[in-house]
Amino acid sequence: MASEAAIGTDRDGAEASGFPAGPDLVHPGIGPYRLAWRRLLRNRVALFFGGLFILIVVLCLLAPVYANDIAHTGPNVNHITDVVKVNGKSEEVVSSTGLPIGPTWQGRFLLGADKNGRDVAVRLLYGGRNSLEVGAIATLITMVLAVIVGLLAGYFRGFTDGVLSRLMDIIWAYPALLLGVALGVMLAVSGINLGLFELRGGSLLIPALIVGVVYIPYVAKPIRGQVLGLREREFIDAARVQGLGNLRIMLGEILPNLASTIIVFVPLMLANSILLEASLSFLGAGVQAPNSSWGTMISDGTRYIPAAIHLVLVPGLMLVAAVLGVNVFGDGVRDALDPRARIRIER
Amino acid sequence: MRKGSKWSSIVVFALLLSVLLAACGSSSSSSTSSGSSSGATKTVTNLMGTAPDYLDPGLGYTTQAAEPDWISYTGLVTYAHAKGAPGTKLIPGVAESLPQISADGKTYTFTLRKGLVYSNGKPVKASDFAYTIQRSMKLNWGGKSFFTGNIVGAEAFDGGKAKSISGIESDDTSGKITIHLVAPYGAFANVLAFPSAGLVPTGTAVSNLSNKPPPGVGPYMITNVVPNQSFSAVKNPYWAKEEIPGIPAGHVNINAKIVTNTQAEAEQVLTNSADVFDWADTLPSSILQQVQSQASERYAKEPTVSTFYFFLNTKNKPFSSQKVREAVAYALDRRALSRLDSGFLAPACFFLPVGMIGHPTGSCPFGDPSGAPNLTKAKKLITESGMAGTSVTVWGETREPRREYVDYFASVLNSIGLKANEKIIADATYFSTIGNLKLNPQAGFADWNQDFPNPSDFYLLLDAKSIQSTNNQNFGQVNDPHIQSELAELNKVPSTKLESVASRWQALDEYVAKKAYTAVYGYEDDPKFMSNRINFGSAIFHPVYGNDWTSWQLK
Repeated sequence: MASEAAIGTDRDGAEASGFPAGPDLVHPGIGPYRLAWRRLLRNRVALFFGGLFILIVVLCLLAPVYANDIAHTGPNVNHITDVVKVNGKSEEVVSSTGLPIGPTWQGRFLLGADKNGRDVAVRLLYGGRNSLEVGAIATLITMVLAVIVGLLAGYFRGFTDGVLSRLMDIIWAYPALLLGVALGVMLAVSGINLGLFELRGGSLLIPALIVGVVYIPYVAKPIRGQVLGLREREFIDAARVQGLGNLRIMLGEILPNLASTIIVFVPLMLANSILLEASLSFLGAGVQAPNSSWGTMISDGTRYIPAAIHLVLVPGLMLVAAVLGVNVFGDGVRDALDPRARIRIER
Repeated sequence: MRKGSKWSSIVVFALLLSVLLAACGSSSSSSTSSGSSSGATKTVTNLMGTAPDYLDPGLGYTTQAAEPDWISYTGLVTYAHAKGAPGTKLIPGVAESLPQISADGKTYTFTLRKGLVYSNGKPVKASDFAYTIQRSMKLNWGGKSFFTGNIVGAEAFDGGKAKSISGIESDDTSGKITIHLVAPYGAFANVLAFPSAGLVPTGTAVSNLSNKPPPGVGPYMITNVVPNQSFSAVKNPYWAKEEIPGIPAGHVNINAKIVTNTQAEAEQVLTNSADVFDWADTLPSSILQQVQSQASERYAKEPTVSTFYFFLNTKNKPFSSQKVREAVAYALDRRALSRLDSGFLAPACFFLPVGMIGHPTGSCPFGDPSGAPNLTKAKKLITESGMAGTSVTVWGETREPRREYVDYFASVLNSIGLKANEKIIADATYFSTIGNLKLNPQAGFADWNQDFPNPSDFYLLLDAKSIQSTNNQNFGQVNDPHIQSELAELNKVPSTKLESVASRWQALDEYVAKKAYTAVYGYEDDPKFMSNRINFGSAIFHPVYGNDWTSWQLK
């Protein structure tokens, strides 16, 4: 559970931006974000892992280029009976007994093939796109809805807080993975049809929506706590005295003070979303066949571990690298924004 | 009959985890139980990749259930314990002889053998037969339509309009049993050979007794059931008195253990820590080479009478167009599908498989199934049909290699100009889901293993009468007048006279292939794989029930 830390105590600029003041932290003439940026630049480890994550993102975005110009195949194209030249020798992509070819370390089947004769490297990059896309959309859904819920519950308190907080408690009461599996299995077949809003069963937005909704309480609760503290502050009283309405106070006065918390949560939620998506896909409740994600690739590969361990190892390593990258970078961002902050996601 | 489905992904995952933890936590228990020679009868450890759906004969309807039930619950007739074609021969079971069939083919008369007792020592009565059939119907056995559709009064009984089935008469004094059919049905004697028609005593509880199966008549009895983990088939102490010709007494007791991880299952048999691999499972390609090189003397591929196909919904676009269906037939690379099954699938195009009377011997209408596909022709047909770009949802189940089949099929449909996506659902709910007519599935995976050696059993899947709102088996909703008129005649022919109509079945099957109503891609071989403790040569692989447990002997 996240601690409800109050960020910012002074009436100067640092306070307004939600940053703690102190003789070693406040530099006259330097804004809080610039200060944070400087701190981040000094954190080499965070930068390295941030760079690693960006590299993975760029590689995944270049998947179509790799598929068309180097591997000459698509992510879902089967080559079961094809033969490929490796070091001058012809080799079957999938043997007559069903064993797929291992890494060839050349353009075609660089990292080998899966049982359906699909190029693992191409599927890895496209799968990465899917994993990152689901993670990013899920994070966006989580953050937007959690901020709205946290703002409303913390600002209005009373009945609104009671209803929203109990709703969050209900979602929180279910283990995230089990809730995700239940929703995923149900929606993977039927999709969502709410009249104007329709998602087909195989849509990537379904796992994104599931992951996004499941994580709302993890962010909404600490934000609500922070809003509860902020609404009692003098600058909010001043805004009320000036005649500002509730909406303007929430958006113009409170929301900017939540910025650093939100920024800190984004990479953490991104990492968690990517992991949850992988878990759901591993269990068949996330990205649907024939599309790949790192989770589905690991799941498919587990059947061939003794003979073709690369089918599990390669997507597994990519998943670890991406999550590690975004997590360590996220820690760096948090340290840079607020070295004293006590905000943590606890399960 | 279909091979039993595996657990849903989640349960499989949980079981895998528990198996792994168990493996880490203690020494293997299978090695200690395997080959135990304590007592007079030795014990064999038989691994099953999928648990039987029910061990109660009144409910069991998967191959895993049929294996133990067949040797524990003998019906009026049963199959000879032999491999190959001789194993498809009906022999008298608890009846003295094969049925006397009236001239109009509507009355079957049996006489019960004298002096028979159940595995609890109580005498068998003729009236137990009617009770057995009524019990399985009340329990809602998966194949009960074989009874309701054929026996006079069975439908009324099933609907609660009658207290008993009027079409079954029995006399406990003489042992005479008479069954009246609503219409001649040539395969009815085969229906009576189902283990579900194996006699149980009158008064047996009408509830699922899988955890403590009822007494039966057979060389074995099922005991020590731990649901979804294990059970035993031990020799029936009363069997020695029965002396039913053609049903062997068996040599060993059998401990059946459920191992859902086929890799672990295969490794245990390879290393002789268990004795028998489940023939209904696919030997993982990752271990197949090892098995072939290290255990070639105890491993064989056994052909089964089964057809693997993709159903195509003939009622809706795009497969309502024969050109599109033909395009699919041209485009399928059946060699590829065979590789997905680790080479256990023999490429084919006809609906009736090898080993079934009526299997065509001519060439396939859309190219050699063992050759390369004709994609150019397929694309041309799609263009001509005007269906290019039509969306198709292909249904499949998660079980390996069935999901891979569907991945491949969707890829093929996309390559010829259709727009395919997939819906993969849990094994346990797959066939009931696609069997719901409201869903109106466009295409998907399907297979069929023979229930009994009669082509009628396969043509149930293309019979318009099989189209029903739920549990529909005619997934493609094929409704062809020629098929219907032929089935009306051919279904009447008794199993004993099937050879006389073999050419008509062949002609019908060739017609179905030409119409491309289904995209047949192969007939499956299954692995007969055993430890080196078992006498492999004498172990029978039965054409209907797979491994014949009564034939297992330790060296």
